[in-house]
Amino acid sequence: MISSFAVQVNHLTHTYLTKQTEKEAVKSVSFHVSRGEFISIVGPSGCGKSTILSLIAGIFPYTDGEIVLFGEKVKGPSKRIGYMLQKDGLFDWRTVEENIRFGLEVQHQANREHIAFSYQLLKQVGLEHVAKFYPSQLSGGMRQRVALVRTLTMKPDILLLDEPFSALDIQHKLHLEELLISLLSQQEKTAILVTHDLEEAIAMSDRILVMGGNPGEVQQTFLVPEELRSLSPMKARGHPSFRPLFEALWQEVEKS
Amino acid sequence: MNKSWLERGAMSPNHARYLRETRITTIWVWVLRMGILVSFLWLWEWATNLRIIDPFLFSSPSRIWQLTSNMALSGELFGHVWLTTWETVCGFILGTILGIAIATLIWASPFLSRVLDPYLVVLNSMPKVALGPLFIVAMGAGFGSILAMAIAITIIITALVIHSSFQGVDQSYLILARSFGASRYQIFCKVIFPACIPDMIASLKVNVGLAWVGVIVGEFLVSKAGLGYLILYGFQVFNLTLVMVSLFIIAVISTLMYQFIAWLEHRLLRYRLGG
Repeated sequence: MISSFAVQVNHLTHTYLTKQTEKEAVKSVSFHVSRGEFISIVGPSGCGKSTILSLIAGIFPYTDGEIVLFGEKVKGPSKRIGYMLQKDGLFDWRTVEENIRFGLEVQHQANREHIAFSYQLLKQVGLEHVAKFYPSQLSGGMRQRVALVRTLTMKPDILLLDEPFSALDIQHKLHLEELLISLLSQQEKTAILVTHDLEEAIAMSDRILVMGGNPGEVQQTFLVPEELRSLSPMKARGHPSFRPLFEALWQEVEKS
Repeated sequence: MNKSWLERGAMSPNHARYLRETRITTIWVWVLRMGILVSFLWLWEWATNLRIIDPFLFSSPSRIWQLTSNMALSGELFGHVWLTTWETVCGFILGTILGIAIATLIWASPFLSRVLDPYLVVLNSMPKVALGPLFIVAMGAGFGSILAMAIAITIIITALVIHSSFQGVDQSYLILARSFGASRYQIFCKVIFPACIPDMIASLKVNVGLAWVGVIVGEFLVSKAGLGYLILYGFQVFNLTLVMVSLFIIAVISTLMYQFIAWLEHRLLRYRLGG
């Protein structure tokens, strides 16, 4: 069966177990993401939004419910997923070019064709001149771009973004948003962004889920209107319909 | 000292002033270092000549130098130096490698790690030189026992330090590697092990010093040759010049070993310098 959804999350529940206690982080969360769609998940810290991404990425098994990617149930890390975290996680001891082929090495695909593709991406993000540099020689924005290249090198169909821009200053952040959207729209990729930045959520996504509560649940879904979706993140911020949506989103998040 | 050397590479008058001041400080540091050494040796020599301190007990720089050159010329010295150096190098390399191997083993199995934990704690708090008699009984009074002592003194602490370093590797590295589908073996080889190389070199540095302790004590107990033997022999026949010669040579060789590891660290950790 070919599913029209890239990601289906059905009644997902996750409980963290420790010696002292058990803590329900996510409770019966359901949402679907279509192919090529960009959704954001916003909500207060502790509502389990990052947990949901880790579960979709298959980093650890979920307690109950199900996650289905392109019709297949998640049982562990999938090659169709690219995962980015707030911490870029570039390995200090590897140069930029060694970092971007890490995924290829792990999956035994470090052949000439794939490495050439990763260089091409590096060029697209404007960093081919630092290929031989170590991460400690790069700025935060450059490091996150390298991390993006490392993720996209694996040609994932779904990108999971866990606040990848929130440690950056506003200028780098806007540039990186633009870059990401232009790369994604070329390649028809599906993306789920977790963020606490409501402006970023509106500027980047097609749809926004507001989560709240503890354990977290989906409270409300906002559709971003077509006129904003068609604009780049930078231009969307200046559009007249941007502010009203922001107000509405703000009020919903405040409630949670 | 001409002005051009002090201000070499200056970009501007301001930079030139800065360079001159730093370089003058460096020169002073070296002058004082050498000054301390020379005046210490001179004071020692002078005091023993005037019998302010007893040369029979404390020897003197000239006596130490004379004995060193005599023993070097007769070739007697090199056998001892070579033996002790060889024991120490084997001891600290084997101790470090085996320690890392134990750390890897208990990292690979958290269950095993929990089982072995109390044993490691006991072994770590144990004064290893107290095991000397056991080594001699088991391995005979020779090279084996001395090596065992050097390894015993380094292995457990290395295992504990490196194991905790393995566990302290940044979680986001591990999550990322998992998300690329890396197996536990790949995560170890490509992430955890390289991430801990700085700590491994740090433990090498510590182990050089510890291995010397093991080897010298080992030679005190069993040996018929080596620098530890010379110290003990010199002490027994009350030839304290011989003791001083041995100490002097140990100081030189252990410093050279330490410097070698510092150089190795510099080579291996260039990525940290950011330059």
